[in-house]
Amino acid sequence: MNRRAPASGIRRYVNAVNLGGLAIVVLSALPLYWMIVSSFKGPGEISADPPTPVPKAATLGNYAEAFVRNGIGRYLFNSVLVASVSTVAVLGLSFFAGYALARTPLRGRGALMTALLMLSVFPPIALVVPLFLLERQLGLLNSYAGLIVPYVALNLPFAIWIMRNYLVGVPRELEEAATVDGAGPLRTVPTVIAPLARPGLFTAGIFTFTATWSEFLLALTFNSEDGHRTVPVGIALFTSQYTVPYGTLFAGAVAATVPIGVLVMIFRRSIVSGMTSGAVKG
Amino acid sequence: MSRRRRARTGWLFASPALLTVAAVTVFPVLFSVLLSFADVRLEYGGFRILSLTGDHYAAVLSSPEWRQALAFTFGFTAVTVLLELVLGTAAALVLERLGAARGRVLAVLLLPWALINVVAAQLWGYLYNGTYGGLTWLCTEILGHQPDILGQPASAMAAMVVVDVWKTTPFVAIVVLAGLMLIPGDVYEAAEIDGAGTWTTFWKVTLPQLRPIMAIAVLFRILQAFGIFDLPFVLTQGGPGTATESLAILGYKTLFQNLAIGRGAAVATTTAAIVISCCLLFLRVFRAQADEGGRG
Repeated sequence: MNRRAPASGIRRYVNAVNLGGLAIVVLSALPLYWMIVSSFKGPGEISADPPTPVPKAATLGNYAEAFVRNGIGRYLFNSVLVASVSTVAVLGLSFFAGYALARTPLRGRGALMTALLMLSVFPPIALVVPLFLLERQLGLLNSYAGLIVPYVALNLPFAIWIMRNYLVGVPRELEEAATVDGAGPLRTVPTVIAPLARPGLFTAGIFTFTATWSEFLLALTFNSEDGHRTVPVGIALFTSQYTVPYGTLFAGAVAATVPIGVLVMIFRRSIVSGMTSGAVKG
Repeated sequence: MSRRRRARTGWLFASPALLTVAAVTVFPVLFSVLLSFADVRLEYGGFRILSLTGDHYAAVLSSPEWRQALAFTFGFTAVTVLLELVLGTAAALVLERLGAARGRVLAVLLLPWALINVVAAQLWGYLYNGTYGGLTWLCTEILGHQPDILGQPASAMAAMVVVDVWKTTPFVAIVVLAGLMLIPGDVYEAAEIDGAGTWTTFWKVTLPQLRPIMAIAVLFRILQAFGIFDLPFVLTQGGPGTATESLAILGYKTLFQNLAIGRGAAVATTTAAIVISCCLLFLRVFRAQADEGGRG
């Protein structure tokens, strides 16, 4: 037996796995650190050569500028509204559809799942032309509904796929017990199954929220008027001048990243667990 | 409950979602195909189809812009997906073995993935900035001369790959990590009894078990990378020249800058057709391989 002797002192921590973990943290966090630090730099320091790793004179001026002059608050409000409503709608619809695909004898289920998988990442550019014309005709450009409806539809397939795969793994017994008591599926599914499906709902919810929070192409083409602009569009249009006001830009970017960052920190475990239970059974 | 009643419940539950998807994806796609054969005029608040005799495909397929965009999109997709698969698997293997620190490392890894694409593009644009970017400064220190990262076609393409890999490797990592956690422990015990080393175990045991889930990750990534829009739009605007112009950027420019609706629809439809073909081909090859390996 070639059992290794227990390593002592610092050598216990220097191994491939810990170095890999360190590399992940550094590579992921360093650009983000740079963004946060830069958001506190004054107008001179942000374009200093060589760049400064820590601000010499930290200022909140960029944040004041982003919120007061550039109206990032309005874009944040629009984004929160559009992303939250879309996520709630996607979760409601995908839960019932996922249940149907997992538990009821639907004909053509396999073909339906494959079609959903493909629609889930259908290139948005292929939809932008017809949807733009339709929304123009219906007067939906520059409205919340004009973004929410396509966001719901575009995120449904992946959410259904996650929900279906998750629900396949939920034991049938509890549901059957409720049925014996005389409750129909319209009663049992929301009250009995939904609580059991919570990790699946979290996973589908996080994926939908991040996708809608980040979506750019439709938001740019459908809602480019200032009052209905979402955060990605607002931030992209910062550059329309000759010089990029990076300080203000990063203040806005940090403000837009905090909500999503907090969500990811809270739900990091369910993101993986929801995937685990469902991922391979499809 | 009877089978028929259960099937009816199934359709009742599934139809709201299916109808929403159909209304916003299937119907517009058919409409887009129609538009690609049409001459369309934009009018105040709406549009009018003048005739259905146009055929924009010949013009699109023979144009050098389309060929260049196709080549860039294919190259970008191939390189990023390959890198993300390798790095994502490595990151997943590290995370699986990390122990107590795993949750925290996972949270940090997920941050770039959760970042708004446009923000990521702006942030890296700043790092690549020719006069005061952090990465430009670093390269100057190492190379001895100041590189023009986004100004040269080759380095601009490489710069775009770096941002995409930074942003999307976490997605592959969590999918592969989920797959790793499903591998039963006794498979590893059997390998250990057979005297397999770390590398042999990885190639002969871990990787074959991960194949189905890796296939799903790769499929999603191919489809997403093929439709890339935000990153080139903000980071390089497709430049220098048209070096980083993706099919989605070309479609956007045709539609919203040249206001050529029919031609834009043809670009979009062609892109979708290529993606769907690649997807079907991939699924077919993968299924055939899986069947050959004796697993379903």
